Amino acid sequence: MTGRAFIPRNWRGFIFPVAAILVIEVAMRTIGVESQSLARPSEILRAAIGALADGSMLTATFQTLVSAFGGLIIGGGIGLVLGILMAMFPPLYWIAEVPFETLRPIPSIALLPLVLLIFGLGFAMEITLVAKTALWPVFFLTLTSVRGVKRRLIEFSSLIRMGLLERMAKIILPAALPGIFLGFRIAMGAALIVAVTVEIAANPLGLGYAMMLAQERLQPALMFAYLFWIGIVGWIFNALTVLLQKRCFAPRQSGRAAT
Amino acid sequence: MRPGRLYWLGASVLFTAALLAVWQLASDFRLVSPVFMPSPLRAWNALVFNFTEGVLGQRVLLTLQHMFFGWLLASAAGVAIGALIGISPFARTYLAPSLEFFRPLPASAVFPVAIAFIGLSENMVLFVIAFGALWPTLLSTINGFATIKPRLDEFARLIGLSRWQYIMQIALPNALPDILAGMRLSLTIALILSVTGEILSGSPGLGHWILLQARGFRSPDLFAGVLLFGVIGYASSQLVALLEARLLRWRGDSFGRM
Amino acid sequence: MHAPLENAYINLRGINVVLGGKPVLENVELQVRRGEFLCVIGPSGCGKTTLLRLAAGLVNPTAGKVSFAGDELSGPRRDIAVVFQDYGDALLPWRTAYGNVSIVLETLGVARAERPDRIHQVLARVGLAKHADKYPQQLSGGMQQRLQIARCLAQGPRVWLMDEPFGALDAITRQALQDEILQIMSDGSTVLFVTHDLEEAIYLGDRVVAMGVNPGHIARTLDVPLPRPRDRQATFEHPEFLRLRRTLLDFIKEAEA
Repeated sequence: MTGRAFIPRNWRGFIFPVAAILVIEVAMRTIGVESQSLARPSEILRAAIGALADGSMLTATFQTLVSAFGGLIIGGGIGLVLGILMAMFPPLYWIAEVPFETLRPIPSIALLPLVLLIFGLGFAMEITLVAKTALWPVFFLTLTSVRGVKRRLIEFSSLIRMGLLERMAKIILPAALPGIFLGFRIAMGAALIVAVTVEIAANPLGLGYAMMLAQERLQPALMFAYLFWIGIVGWIFNALTVLLQKRCFAPRQSGRAAT
Repeated sequence: MRPGRLYWLGASVLFTAALLAVWQLASDFRLVSPVFMPSPLRAWNALVFNFTEGVLGQRVLLTLQHMFFGWLLASAAGVAIGALIGISPFARTYLAPSLEFFRPLPASAVFPVAIAFIGLSENMVLFVIAFGALWPTLLSTINGFATIKPRLDEFARLIGLSRWQYIMQIALPNALPDILAGMRLSLTIALILSVTGEILSGSPGLGHWILLQARGFRSPDLFAGVLLFGVIGYASSQLVALLEARLLRWRGDSFGRM
Repeated sequence: MHAPLENAYINLRGINVVLGGKPVLENVELQVRRGEFLCVIGPSGCGKTTLLRLAAGLVNPTAGKVSFAGDELSGPRRDIAVVFQDYGDALLPWRTAYGNVSIVLETLGVARAERPDRIHQVLARVGLAKHADKYPQQLSGGMQQRLQIARCLAQGPRVWLMDEPFGALDAITRQALQDEILQIMSDGSTVLFVTHDLEEAIYLGDRVVAMGVNPGHIARTLDVPLPRPRDRQATFEHPEFLRLRRTLLDFIKEAEA
């Protein structure tokens, strides 16, 4: 694709949103909109800065992140262990298949009433739901990654008579690591989404709740501020993990396409 | 089928039965409070009872209607808009990056905004379902239309395909795997948003019904409802899988069974 | 040695191609006569693929003119067929072998009733008659390449441009396809055949053009006065073949020095 070479491609993507924001700002000022559901971009920015300054936004962010990562670690941890075990000992997977496939399609949000019943509102219930969500991607990607370790490598390890633990540590886990990492990356995205969803639906903590509160109090600027902030947080974590993936795994991906 | 697969499937079923038995015993011996965990038998009875004599069937239907209606609308819009954007290099450079920003955004974050504009009603829930389910299909469609192997492009130029022919014979079939993958994700989101919407707005449906059971500490009914969600989730993923199998027959051998 | 202009079917004159600031081809003059099988060999980076793409109308020269049958070439034409090396990417994975050939006829506007016969005829010619209902990924590499050739046959081309078509195949399949190509082109088709395999170039061609690098240019042109039809065993032992082979090998060694 020809074109000005001095504007790198990614810059051009910013032109439209920046222009749109400016247009909306000017339009709303001109028309003189005062509403309980709309807010000017400048007001949104002001509300965001205000919420950051008084710490409320940071507290809410912290709460959401605690739930998300707490659930990620628990669910991901279980998924990781199960994935490794079932990949190394296929019969375990074949036996567990029916209960697994029965439980898997249940959306986490459908379990909200149940978990609410058991734990009541608060962190425990949210972390539990996040854990249930995080478990599956980690499990499946760990399973397929460990299974997918090239047969040649495993043959090599038996030819030089490696013990099981050594084989795990030096051959299987390093080979499966990129896939496992991807599983955690996907799970992390899902964890943030589920955390915010639970907060919007019921739980009075975190970013989702802050957004609902702003709406109830008829503070559209603050509501939109949280909306964009949630998007930014999601984007930041995704970008961080992609960066991490490139730094840790890129040198060894000889010839294999990156995700 | 892998030899011996049937045998293992049978073993798995037996294992499941064993788990159910353990569960039943745990309930009978009151190892867990029946408030939180009913015995499987009571849960099953609750399921049957509520279907035959209660409103459960109706509620399920309502949720399904919301879910599918929103999904179909979202898919149609997603494919149409996505195709237009994906084909145009201009739109891809200037428009698509902004859209990608919305990918990690939880679809449910739209709820407060929708409530602000529409109020706490069934229409609001429908709007959020359609809007939320739009994104995965839209983004996947853009990707599907944007990533066409250069060789195929060259081939199209060499034999002089018209624009319309190019779209129908090359771009669309090429994009179909991505489109279907997006639609599958959209269906999942539609379900989640249905439930969340019902919990938020109290509009009748399976999600709200389960919430009522939780508030009334009726755990057998609660479990019955959760099980139904499993069935709905399973059935909808099978639906998309069926669609994929028929439309993507040509992928058959290279993407074989696990 | 220049062919008289009237006989030049494909004519590249004064060609300079600069891509991304780097000169890829410099001062290239090339004529392919009608009915000629011209082979172009050269090391990687000599621009032989670019040369072929110029003749296909896929890329325009920075300077110079490309003409086909006397007219300046402004873009791809349906009567120029291109066979790519990466056959997997060039075939439509969602259509069967039959469908892949069919799309060419559909584009050419051939009536629906006429298509089946022509498709089967062309598939039979490359030996894929029994595999019409298979999808490309169900076919072996050699069969996929044959399918691409069948698809080009359906175009009814006046010129064939082949870009290292057998480079991705194993030795035995390669030999079989070389002989098949000789057979298909024996009706007097005009062919521009790019390869890095100099024995293949001599075996198949009427003329061999050897290119050099830095930047890409034509270094030598050799006629191949071997008798047709070419028999593999006889040809490979023919003194003229050996002489040409020696000449080209020496030339390459010098070029690398």
